[in-house]
Amino acid sequence: MVKFKDVTKKFGNVVALEKVTFEVDKGEFVFITGPSGAGKTTILKLILGEILPDGGGVSVNGVSVGDLSASEIPFYRQGIGTVFQDFKVLPERTVRENVEVALAVIGLSQDEWDGRVKHVLKLVGLEKQIDLFPRQLSGGELQRTSLARALVVNPKILLADEPTGNLDWETSDSIMQIFEKIHKEGKTVIMATHNEEIIKKYKKRVIHLVGGRMNNGKHSS
Amino acid sequence: MANIHLKTALDYIKRSPFQALAATFVLSLTFFVATLVSILVYSSSQLLSYFETRPQVIAFLKDNATESQIAELSGRLSSDTRIKEVKYVSKEEALAIYKKATSDNPLLGELVSPTIFPASLEFSVNDLTFAQGIIDEVKNETVVDSVGFTAALGGEESLQDVVGRLRTITTYVRFGGGIFTGILALASFMILLIIISMRIAMRREEVEILNLIGATRKFIRSPIILETLIYSTVGVMIGWTIAFIMVLYSAPGLLSYFGDVPVLPRDTLSLLIIFGVVLGVEFVFGIILSLSGSLLAISRVRRAR
Repeated sequence: MVKFKDVTKKFGNVVALEKVTFEVDKGEFVFITGPSGAGKTTILKLILGEILPDGGGVSVNGVSVGDLSASEIPFYRQGIGTVFQDFKVLPERTVRENVEVALAVIGLSQDEWDGRVKHVLKLVGLEKQIDLFPRQLSGGELQRTSLARALVVNPKILLADEPTGNLDWETSDSIMQIFEKIHKEGKTVIMATHNEEIIKKYKKRVIHLVGGRMNNGKHSS
Repeated sequence: MANIHLKTALDYIKRSPFQALAATFVLSLTFFVATLVSILVYSSSQLLSYFETRPQVIAFLKDNATESQIAELSGRLSSDTRIKEVKYVSKEEALAIYKKATSDNPLLGELVSPTIFPASLEFSVNDLTFAQGIIDEVKNETVVDSVGFTAALGGEESLQDVVGRLRTITTYVRFGGGIFTGILALASFMILLIIISMRIAMRREEVEILNLIGATRKFIRSPIILETLIYSTVGVMIGWTIAFIMVLYSAPGLLSYFGDVPVLPRDTLSLLIIFGVVLGVEFVFGIILSLSGSLLAISRVRRAR
């Protein structure tokens, strides 16, 4: 499903990734881990087509991301759900509107919005907060909103960049349980995290990065 | 889909009411002036056209001119294709016209007798370019004492001077009005550009999020373009309505002042049609102004990144 082949990425003289090669199968849940600056976010950005590799190739569902034109990128991204450490919710929009915007982006008929929004908000446990604004939500609720927005378009792949980075353990765990539930429904999940407790508890394949290189010795079953 | 863009555009306006007011005010002013200039251009054109196509020439006849000589001259003038509406005005009719003109002071009418008014032949020319030639020809007629023309704006010696002066005034109105409207349109364009650039800068985070979740350029641009379209539509409506009310209010006075000169249509339907055309043109211009302003602002911000 997601294939990295000898991928190298540099930012000026800084090597963010060097000859990184891995594959993620359909329906798999993978942790990308490593210290800060190891290249975790760079991998997610490459999958999302935000940046292009300087060497090697990234392909998703057989499509080479580097070959997509600027006008094709938005449609490609519509098939990928993304959750961020800083939530990236629209501050002037309610929870419902934040989720609806993703449906508007994919051009879904407005008749179908209500059902989909309520379903996904129930899944993440935000039914009661549906009409609240981000400033009225806790960190965990903001992350659930972000997750609901990512899920509502029924993406094939879910990318998560340090989704628990700003949350306490209990909230992090509840968020992880939602990811687990989503994964069990058949979604491919690629999560960048340096939270060792989560990695230990949720026992998934780990791609460990150090200084932009893969450290193949570290895997959890 | 349009609903979400419209809602977003209205939200931007609500969030920055002073920016919205500034944009609406300057656009209203622009379209108010544009409407007035349009009407002024129409009126001056009508005024010019009136004098160009209906120049009244009066050939004052000598006292000793016989009826047969007058009839012969009248016949010749009537058969001239350059001339239309030849009319003989007798001394008595001239006195009647004088009395009517001085009806507010009857004493002036009492003091004169028909003998002091010369009989005359009045006629119009089909085209102004023939006017001076015809006047010169008629002056040479033996029964004609002198030739005059009815229009005079201040000491002109020939009909062409009158029309020339009107042409100059009309040109000034057109160019002056056009330049003034152009400057205001440019100011509106710049204000729209600044407001939209600020709007995009404020929305940078939102645009980034929309980009990441797969929003197309069209999706991101739509609320911004809609917002400028709202400004220009409201601006056109306010500016046009105020100008329309002003012209409607002053129309009776203007029509009365200019008399026969059709500076404005006398029937309401024609006036509405003229204003309708101005409104339509202003809507199109407003759309062009807002589209070009918003697209330029978007491209500037994109380049700046």
